[in-house]
Amino acid sequence: MKPTLHTLKPTGKLLLLGIMLSGSVATWAQTTISGRVVDDKGKGVAGASVYIDSSLDGATADTAGVFKFTTTETGFKTIVASDLGHENGGLPLDIKNNSSITDLTIKLRTEKTHKLNEVTITAGSFDASNDKDKTVLKPLDIVTTAGTQADVVKSMETLPGTQKQGAENGLFVRGGDASEAAILVDGMVVQNAFFSGPPGVTTRSRFGAFQYKGVSFSSGGYSARYGQALSSVLELNSLDLADKSTVNLGINMAGVYASGTKLWKNSSLDIGANYNNLSPFYGIANTNFKFYDVPVGGGGNLRYAWKPNKDGILKITANGSYISSGIAMPNPQSPDSSLNYATKNTDIFSDISYRQMFKNKFSLYTAASYSYDYNDNSWGGYPYKETDQRAQYRIEGKWYATSRFSLLAGTEMQHYSIQRNAFLPSTYGVDSGYTKMDQSFTETQTAGFLEADYTPVYWLAIRPGIRYEHSALLNQSGFAPRMSLAIKTGDNSQVSLAYGLFYQDADNNTLLWGYRPDFQQAVHYIANWQLNKNDRTLRIEGYYKTYNDLVREAVTNGPYDANPYHSLAGLDINNSGYGYATGAELFWRDKKSIKNFDYWISYSYIDTRRLYKNYVSEVTPDFIANHNLSLVAKYFIDKWQTNVSATYSYASGRPSYYPTSGATTPEWSSTTTPDYNNLALTISYLHTFGRWFTVFYLGIDNITNAHNVFGYRYYTDPGNNTVQYRSPVVPPLYRSIFFGVNMSLTQFAKDEL
Amino acid sequence: MKGFILLISAIAFAVATCTAQDFKSTLKKTFDEFENTQDQAQKTQLSNKLGLIAKKWNNEWTAHYYYAFSQAVLSYNEKDKTKADAYVDEAEKEFDDMKSIQGKENDETYVLAAMIANARLAVNPSNRWQKYGKIFSEDLQKAKELNPDNPRIYYLQGVSKFHTPKMFGGGKKNSLPYFEKAEPLFAKESSDDIAKPYWGKNENQYFLAQCKGDDKE
Repeated sequence: MKPTLHTLKPTGKLLLLGIMLSGSVATWAQTTISGRVVDDKGKGVAGASVYIDSSLDGATADTAGVFKFTTTETGFKTIVASDLGHENGGLPLDIKNNSSITDLTIKLRTEKTHKLNEVTITAGSFDASNDKDKTVLKPLDIVTTAGTQADVVKSMETLPGTQKQGAENGLFVRGGDASEAAILVDGMVVQNAFFSGPPGVTTRSRFGAFQYKGVSFSSGGYSARYGQALSSVLELNSLDLADKSTVNLGINMAGVYASGTKLWKNSSLDIGANYNNLSPFYGIANTNFKFYDVPVGGGGNLRYAWKPNKDGILKITANGSYISSGIAMPNPQSPDSSLNYATKNTDIFSDISYRQMFKNKFSLYTAASYSYDYNDNSWGGYPYKETDQRAQYRIEGKWYATSRFSLLAGTEMQHYSIQRNAFLPSTYGVDSGYTKMDQSFTETQTAGFLEADYTPVYWLAIRPGIRYEHSALLNQSGFAPRMSLAIKTGDNSQVSLAYGLFYQDADNNTLLWGYRPDFQQAVHYIANWQLNKNDRTLRIEGYYKTYNDLVREAVTNGPYDANPYHSLAGLDINNSGYGYATGAELFWRDKKSIKNFDYWISYSYIDTRRLYKNYVSEVTPDFIANHNLSLVAKYFIDKWQTNVSATYSYASGRPSYYPTSGATTPEWSSTTTPDYNNLALTISYLHTFGRWFTVFYLGIDNITNAHNVFGYRYYTDPGNNTVQYRSPVVPPLYRSIFFGVNMSLTQFAKDEL
Repeated sequence: MKGFILLISAIAFAVATCTAQDFKSTLKKTFDEFENTQDQAQKTQLSNKLGLIAKKWNNEWTAHYYYAFSQAVLSYNEKDKTKADAYVDEAEKEFDDMKSIQGKENDETYVLAAMIANARLAVNPSNRWQKYGKIFSEDLQKAKELNPDNPRIYYLQGVSKFHTPKMFGGGKKNSLPYFEKAEPLFAKESSDDIAKPYWGKNENQYFLAQCKGDDKE
């Protein structure tokens, strides 16, 4: 050792110096040391490094953990064994000249918390992220899933807990309807997540999968950070700084789009524009409705990201779009006639957020958003206008007290108003007079939340939380406790549990009609078991939910009204509704067994009943199929640079309710729709032309042209209530074909050479 | 007495240079052996030895540099993902030690940083290319700004392109220009001084030969 040389004194140490010097010329007397390195279970640790501390003398253990080496060191020393994935082990040794030390056994303990094997809370949630390794789905998986049309929200229907949809927008999660699932971007509520369209026609969500670095779908028991959703939240997290400067161009059967990205040293800007015209899409298919005006529109988006320092990021987003369409749809009040439904929609979503980490100890996140949505619609020639505005603000701080404990505290405010100006005819299509409706409400919700993440031991993670919510409109407050935990049950498996209480206002329609019922309430209990090993995931989840204080139209006289757009005027609307949902779900994904082949299976069984809205008794809601199954398979053919993806979806029949013939009181009867089947296929061909990375894609949805029915609409002859007509609720088209091209510039600079 | 002290100082100096020599030659010998063997077990053993050298001569940045490098190389060849990641963890740790000794970064440290990022990416490419691909190209860009004649910049870019699927603009044909660019720069380097990294020359030749064949995929 070098430093010892400086401490040499001229007297008395000459002998030592002599020995040191002779070391470089003469051979030292040597000692042979041998033995074995073993782990906790007594198994040999191959490749472990065994050495005398502070020397170069050592060896590497062979496949049986056996080592042998010679050393020139003498005296009291330490022999050390080290190996990745194990804690270092050592033994004291008294090394004597020209002796040999044999049969040493050095025990190494397995390192407890390894990066890839941390315990994570998974009850009720599916995470798709670019940043984390251990996620069930990645954003790219969403885009390449057949039958989802690269729609983030639609792709959630291939996960357990969701209902297959074809005639209504939104996520129907575990017994809840679409209004009970919230969609959030960077923690901000998206009020109008889908493009506007006529009722009964599904439209795309407004999100492109590549705008987000992560998607987190919770089918229940979600964090105290969020509220006002009885069943579920879908969280989208936008990208940070762009990866590189690029240009992206595309054309498909729904329109054309172009975007440009400029990356500076610490900031980036994206600007994009699109023009949509669905003539080609609807043009080649047989539509079930007549589009007298095919959807035509356009939009623009802007995104700016700035990193003022290494641990901070500011993001500003603005999206605007306009779309118009006209459709002749079945008249809900008259079976043989149709109504013209025209929509002209303007939508703006803007958002600014800032995240800063302070010395890895404290993080601050704050965001504000304003959104505006205006529907200038007409229904059967009568104007039907709706304006939504929402301003929201959120601030949260997280304190990382230790690597095992962190505490999050935050507050949010939602201020929104909805205004409806419409004419409500007593009978559509018949000039029989109308009622003019000018309805509006303004709601201000404030909330505060506290959540802790605690990992007392490596195999246990606990996340307790509490949320306070206040509604100014309803003049009501509530505390919602949340709790989730995960227990590691093996190297690759764990059990997660979650519990939570959730509040939500009555739906917008009820509030627009002037009713102010109390919060509705849901309680979730979730348990899951997950095995995750080598790109294979098995997950089994069970849950039980209760619903209390659901908003109900307690109608006592007159027949049951099957028209979903019926007037709420003069009804007794209260919180006497209730219900439950229980179910079991299975998810299996395997990316490993066959090269380039990835498939997953999700199956959900649900048993749920509720009494709410204008229901007559506690029944399974008409949007529920007891069995939902998705089989997703993707295969990449290297040779052809082609990705083939197929999705088969199945759902059992759903109930549909109608007034009992001839009844004068709210009595109803029920029937069931046929089973739902859909086989979808997407083929993408990838190629780089010069500096343009190009993807050609062709998607066919419902290849077999199955005539899926999502329910029935009933109409009772006003003159004779024993005469009923029914029409099936069907999607705008059965089989559909979609193709397009996307091109992006791989690099701006001419070359890196 | 004065003479004695002088003698002692002279001997002490000789010993000091001798240990410095020892360090450099031990490091060079071990590293060259590491580079020249293709046997994984031997590579592991030699990397372990580099680790001992880095522990013994804890204040020498080169010791940490080569140990970090060898751990990154082991990671590339490791099939077990958890273990491969652990190698990269170790490489990153050693890299940080090296940086704290060295203070200021030079082109070689950026090249090594890029290589470690690439090793991290290689453990799980489909999940990590976005994050680590960016770090990789940024670090190489910084190295290039400091010394555009460092052949390892182009060699690493070439390897990365080589392993990128053809449809994403990679493959043999697209990576060839990088290896060709590196070749004459490697030729100018000498492998005498361990403090001036010279790794990559043989591998570059290997890839050049590979690229001159046809793309099979």
